[in-house]
Amino acid sequence: MGEPGVLIVEDEMLLAMMYEDVLSAEGWRIVGPVGRLDKAIALARNAAFDVALLDVNLHGEPSYPIARVLAERGIPFAFVTGYEGDIVAPNFQGRPVLTKPCRAAEIVTVLRNLLASAQDAGPGLAPAG
Amino acid sequence: MQPSRDSFPVVGIGASAGGVEALSRLFHQLGTELHAAFVVVTHLARHRESLLPEILARYTAMPVVAAIDGQPIEPGRLYLNSPDTILTVMNGRFVVTERTEERNPIDILLASVAVSAGHRAIAVILSGTGTDGAIGVKAVREAGGLTLAQRFDGDLNAHHGMPDAAVATGFVDDVLPIEALAARLADYITSFGATVLPDTAADESARGQLDGAKAEICAILNARVGHDFSGYKTSTFLRRLARRMLVRRILDLPGYVAFIRANGEEADLLFRELLIGVSSFFRNPGAYDVLAAQAIPHLFSGRDSIRVWVPGCSTGEEAYTLAILLREHAGTSQARLQIFATDVDENALAVARQGRYPARLLETQPPERLARFFVREGSSYAVAKEIRDICMFACHSLIRDPPFSRVDLISCRNLLIYFGADLQNQVMPLFHYAIRPGGFLFLGSSEHASRHTALFEPLDSKHRVFRRRDLPGRPTIFSAAMQSAGQRALRAGAIGPAAGKSAIVARGQALVLERYAPAHVVINRDGSVLHFSVRTGKYLEAPTGSPSRDLLAMVRRGLAPALRSALKETAETGRVARRDNVGMQTEAGTQPVNLVLQPIQDRGPEAEWLVVFTDAMPPDAQAARAAAPPVERDEAIRQLEAEVGETRQQLASTIEEHLLSEEELKSVNEEMLSMNEELQSANEELETSKEELQSVNEELHSVNAELSDKVDELDRSNNDVRNLLDSTQIATLFLDESLNIRTFTPAVSEVFRLLPGDRGRSILDFGNALDYGELADDANATLASGAALERKLVTRDGTTHFLVRLLPYRKADDVIDGVILTFVNVTSLVELGQQQALVSELNHRVKNVLAVVSSLAHQLARRCATLQEFDAGFADRMAGLASTHSILARNNWVSAPLVGLILGELHAFVADAGRVTVSGPEVQLNPHAATTLGIAIHELATNAVKYGALAAERGRLVVTWAFEMRDAAEWLVLEWRENGGPPVVEPQRKSFGTELIERSLAYEFDGSARIEFLPDGVVVTLALPGEHVTRGAGPS
Repeated sequence: MGEPGVLIVEDEMLLAMMYEDVLSAEGWRIVGPVGRLDKAIALARNAAFDVALLDVNLHGEPSYPIARVLAERGIPFAFVTGYEGDIVAPNFQGRPVLTKPCRAAEIVTVLRNLLASAQDAGPGLAPAG
Repeated sequence: MQPSRDSFPVVGIGASAGGVEALSRLFHQLGTELHAAFVVVTHLARHRESLLPEILARYTAMPVVAAIDGQPIEPGRLYLNSPDTILTVMNGRFVVTERTEERNPIDILLASVAVSAGHRAIAVILSGTGTDGAIGVKAVREAGGLTLAQRFDGDLNAHHGMPDAAVATGFVDDVLPIEALAARLADYITSFGATVLPDTAADESARGQLDGAKAEICAILNARVGHDFSGYKTSTFLRRLARRMLVRRILDLPGYVAFIRANGEEADLLFRELLIGVSSFFRNPGAYDVLAAQAIPHLFSGRDSIRVWVPGCSTGEEAYTLAILLREHAGTSQARLQIFATDVDENALAVARQGRYPARLLETQPPERLARFFVREGSSYAVAKEIRDICMFACHSLIRDPPFSRVDLISCRNLLIYFGADLQNQVMPLFHYAIRPGGFLFLGSSEHASRHTALFEPLDSKHRVFRRRDLPGRPTIFSAAMQSAGQRALRAGAIGPAAGKSAIVARGQALVLERYAPAHVVINRDGSVLHFSVRTGKYLEAPTGSPSRDLLAMVRRGLAPALRSALKETAETGRVARRDNVGMQTEAGTQPVNLVLQPIQDRGPEAEWLVVFTDAMPPDAQAARAAAPPVERDEAIRQLEAEVGETRQQLASTIEEHLLSEEELKSVNEEMLSMNEELQSANEELETSKEELQSVNEELHSVNAELSDKVDELDRSNNDVRNLLDSTQIATLFLDESLNIRTFTPAVSEVFRLLPGDRGRSILDFGNALDYGELADDANATLASGAALERKLVTRDGTTHFLVRLLPYRKADDVIDGVILTFVNVTSLVELGQQQALVSELNHRVKNVLAVVSSLAHQLARRCATLQEFDAGFADRMAGLASTHSILARNNWVSAPLVGLILGELHAFVADAGRVTVSGPEVQLNPHAATTLGIAIHELATNAVKYGALAAERGRLVVTWAFEMRDAAEWLVLEWRENGGPPVVEPQRKSFGTELIERSLAYEFDGSARIEFLPDGVVVTLALPGEHVTRGAGPS
């Protein structure tokens, strides 16, 4: 299966760099990082990866369109936000939310859990894409 | 017929107010061994248990039980009705139904008992008010049962309405005090089983005996009342005869025959008994068919008003029957129908006015008729208003009161049978007078007008339909009852045979009587004068002392002895007595007089005699007259003749005048009679409308009470509304549909400067503190759509926020009649909302900053070899970040001036004239761009100070920026050009700062950063899409 892929969506470059550092050190294949909504949607739709980490607010715009694409593809993801956790839109409640600033270990744990749950569910459920 | 075990009497007892005592006494007296069933119906209060069963159980040994639906009636028991039920009897069993509208439960019970038990029925009406029971009594009596009513002797507090009403129907056999009533009842029940008539089936001789008795009784009746019953159905005759015998308690036939022979009153009672028919609607339907076929079409032809008189209407069935008949035949005629139904009995009239009858009375009527003319109310039927309105019931005596006039039809059925021949002779001319020419008379099957063929011509003899004949002259008719008995006596002779003659003949007879007949008086058996003729003065003189009518006291001296003996003779023989040449003492001497005493009629105490006085010529006077000298006598005769002639002329003219005034009086009298009749009907109508008014009044009273309650309530609500309006802090404005001010709350003054006097003015005339120019449009939109509208507005000075709501003003019928505007001051809410948003944003920013800080630390930590190195790098970058933030904070986190960011890093060197040049248009960066560019500039400045142009004394730095068009988009391009610094060496490995600059612009803004290590110095070009930038000085 190779190393697991993770899509990083974060408009703050310094944060994106940190996620990249942390996760590649943990053996993840990094897709992105990307900070702009249109690019992020294109990647979410076409790139190959297993989980995603989404900043809720991209230059003042919510990242839910990306989340919808991911949900359609059956790819698990977690939100990251500087706002309080309950700000996530109702139809995405139940998805894990990380609050900035977040610790590296926390990110790694959440993404691992997502990966594990996706593999438990089996590849049959995830639509090909 | 009924099985024999059922042949016991069923006693229906009705009682109401005062009834508990009456019932207790009745059953206490009654004893126990009676083979009869007792059914007691009282007016029980609704929804309340009655204590009557326990009370009555104390007074009788019979079982006292509540009647149960379907239960057979058994003798020796006392049944009671239960509250809220109507008790009837059908085929020997009880039928208990729920009480709904019925007001006359006693009538309903008795009527059903009459049908179910027939001649075994007994009706007893005890104490009570109202008229309930009257119709029931009639029904029982018509079925051949016994009817009794309670009498109250001198008890002023008695409730005698019900017994009185029953008695007034004329169908009550006996009216007795309660103890006597009990005895009578017990007696009747005991003797009920006894055979009063011989059993003809068993005994042939008994038949002969019965027939003989019947013939004898018929003869007695014929002699007594002039009605022959020999053709009457024998079985009916005998049944009614047996009932009379039971009532009289004469249980053997010969005894009864003897009794009736000796007792004229019993003959009358038996006569009535035999005549009783079933009083009901359309009694003798055949007769009504004939009436409908022969008379009614004539009534409707070309008339706009039809008047019918029903004398002796009793409880109203006949009147209502005629009303129904007329309605059914009215067709399209618009004629006004009026039926004057009269009776002397007010109680019967009260029943008639109610127009409510037990259903049994109407069982035989076709359903269409019932549906059209009656309203079913439980077990009874009420006459429909259409019919009720036609009939006017009034108290009126056929004998005593003046008749109605110009009526089209008189229906007088089974009333004349109760009248003797005399009264009938009076009544028929009266009917003739009352009926208009060509009108009709409708009599009962036992009545006839055959003795008055001069007045009425039969149309159908069998069914007694007659048409009025027109007569010459005008017979005087109705003075009879109002005149003295003496005149009536004279009239009896005059009218009877002379009735058919013309008025001229009658007048001639009167003249003869007046002028040529001898003086006479009519006296009765006692010698009292009933009538004086003309010219009696000669024989009579007023006696001394008090006035007297005694003839013996009045006759002149000398006549009394002869008169007395003649009176005696006539009284004894009943024949004419004469006394000739009786010497009468006068002032002129003795005058011989002939007296004749002629009986007019010799009926017992009412005997009337005629006493005629004539002058007898005394022999000596005749002689004296012959002896007088002829000349003197001739002179005297001439003078006398002249005098007589003059006197005659005077008399003739006086008579003429008298006749004229008499005629006048007659017509006046007639007018008055007609007027009287009109008044009577008007009175009747008034009485009806008075009743209606009373009930309307009742209704109005309750409506009024309700209304005043509502007014109180309204007052309270008004006060509530006023207090609410005065106290509310919400500015509220009521506008009408033209946007004129209706009313407003004091708080409106925050928005509009309104005074109380401004009501009625248009709101558009007033300026407002809000910048609300759309007020008229909004209000009209709300008026048109009925939808509420909301706006958030700020006062012109920006300090106060209002939430303006426009709501339609709806009236009770939901029609929009205006607009309500409310202005809620939401300044504090708005401020609070802003504060909250600020706090939340701050929180977000702080977290973002912390995230950036931790990320910076992470990145630095990877690149720094030593902790000291990290410490210095970290502190330096924190300072740069803080500088950017303070610039942003100064601008409320809205934007930061680019020049400010640059000078914030380089201000130390700018002061050193000429080393650093910063120039470009005024540009504001959004916070994100400011942060990113701030970091980049900080890195550039740090590098320049450490290794670049600012590290050397003569090094220079020029920072310029400008807007450029790239690919049809505007970009901000900033150039950082160093020179004169230490020699430039392109580093082997990109420093953290360089990497940060290059990546961050591209990553975060799609911008670009180019770093050139030229020999003179580093040149950095940063390009940022214009969307993150605004031109100008920005907010201060």
